[in-house]
Amino acid sequence: MIELHNVTKKFAGRTAVDDLSFRVPRGEIFGLLGHNGAGKSTAIGMMLGQVWPTSGEIKICGHDVAANRREALMRVGAIFESPAFYDYLSGWRNLEILSTYSAPTPAARIREVIEWVGLTGREQSKVRTYSHGMRSRLALAQALLPGPELLILDEPSDGLDPEGIHEMRQTIIRLQHELGLTILLSSHLLNEVEQLCTRIAVLQQGKKVFEGNVADVKAARGKVALKTSDFAGATRLLRERGLITASAGDRYITLAAGRTTAEIAQALITAGMALEGIWQHEQTVEDFYLNLIKPPVATDAH
Amino acid sequence: MFRAQLKNELRKLFGKKRTYIGFGAFLLAQTLMLLAFKYTRWQSDFERLLNGNGYLASEFISALTVSVVMLIPQIMLLMPLYATLVGGDLVAKEAEDGTLRMILSRPISRVRLLFVKWSAGNIFAIVLVVALGLTALGFASLLFPWKGMFVFSPGQAFSVLSAHDGLVRFILSHLFLAMNASVMMSVAFMFSCFNMKPAAATVLALSFLFVSMVLENIPFFDRYENWFVTHHFKCWLLVFQDPVPWLQICQSEIILFSVSATAFIIGTMAFQVRDIKS
Repeated sequence: MIELHNVTKKFAGRTAVDDLSFRVPRGEIFGLLGHNGAGKSTAIGMMLGQVWPTSGEIKICGHDVAANRREALMRVGAIFESPAFYDYLSGWRNLEILSTYSAPTPAARIREVIEWVGLTGREQSKVRTYSHGMRSRLALAQALLPGPELLILDEPSDGLDPEGIHEMRQTIIRLQHELGLTILLSSHLLNEVEQLCTRIAVLQQGKKVFEGNVADVKAARGKVALKTSDFAGATRLLRERGLITASAGDRYITLAAGRTTAEIAQALITAGMALEGIWQHEQTVEDFYLNLIKPPVATDAH
Repeated sequence: MFRAQLKNELRKLFGKKRTYIGFGAFLLAQTLMLLAFKYTRWQSDFERLLNGNGYLASEFISALTVSVVMLIPQIMLLMPLYATLVGGDLVAKEAEDGTLRMILSRPISRVRLLFVKWSAGNIFAIVLVVALGLTALGFASLLFPWKGMFVFSPGQAFSVLSAHDGLVRFILSHLFLAMNASVMMSVAFMFSCFNMKPAAATVLALSFLFVSMVLENIPFFDRYENWFVTHHFKCWLLVFQDPVPWLQICQSEIILFSVSATAFIIGTMAFQVRDIKS
């Protein structure tokens, strides 16, 4: 659905996106992560033909965006952070106006979309009277109008309260389950990305520093949580037997290469220590992301 | 599809309160000028001028004469302001508000989008001029009789016309006034296509028109007057001359149309290569 091949964008000598490549196949929810200024919005702008790449090729739905923008975007919907509308017009009129930039849209389709996003009854009110959550729903409605196959969401939960964020998350899940959409999600909410996305790419200073499955990120070899009445004694014993290489705080241990949690449990029980629990500590996307973009520690030159 | 896009562009344009500022200002200015003409020395001075030239003032102080007298300052001062205000808003305001990014996530080409906007701007220019002419004539008819017309005209000291002939020329002059408004709007539209605030686009367009007017009035540039767009703006007054200098009017109109089209093309080229970011 989305293909970026060696895409670079420079603004007045500053490289905003540097040699970025990735593919998003049909039906996937793909997360684009990175701090502010990492190049996410520029990359999305290039996918939508709003920003011209300095070099590289972008294909959306099999069409080159630079050469064939109309075909590329025909079945694409997009939502941006803080969605902007014609506040002095009604929600219905806004949808009518935006739909004419894609293809003729019958009133029945507009009604259907309004119902889908839950704005029925408020569609004739002026947008200036809408709450932030309602504006987000209207943004979603305008993105769904052309019957998209691909949805590009740039910080869709930006500015929403916790309830709104939850609602948006549920909506994204519905979009994929009920409509089978491919979704590109750019978000700062790593918890949200973890719950929604199947794959992620992380950008740092315009460069892609990671691309992979969320499941792999979470299952990456990490710490093991150990609950025992004498954590210090247990770790001393396990170290002596060469079963662990490190311990952290009063809960986590790092297994030595080739060792399993079953061996740890057996060693502790054999030594007569009370073992209350032992389990693989699952790494969150947040842990992974923060470790990945952590600034390098300054090294002493001496 | 173009019709639907244009209709919606007009809905956006005429749905905004600031679009009506110009109409409101015209109404206010016309009321004040009409009262000033009726109740100050303005009318008696005008009568003296007519009598001094051998015309019966009572025959020519009419609704048509007063309409044109009221139109001249409004066309010089207010029309550029409101035509450029709307022209400057057309693209830059949408970019500033963030709605342009929403539009450009759809499969419409930038050239088509701009053409729709420019067409809507031209319709606004026509509506503005028609409203100006209708209200001027309507207001003047309330206080002055329907008689012959006296009008100052460039190249000729003045023209005197019958009521019927005057009305026909008055209507015709608005065709050319609409072209003036279109040029003013187009220049602001061109600046609006660059990466700038809507107010900056309006100010730049007004500056362009002002500089043209100042240079045109410097004696040194007399022989270059055809190079100044504001010189051609005066052609609306030429329709009141006898005989009507059609060739000169056509030349001016072609030049004005070319300026308008050039402004659109430059704006489109600038917009086409622009990166639209939040």
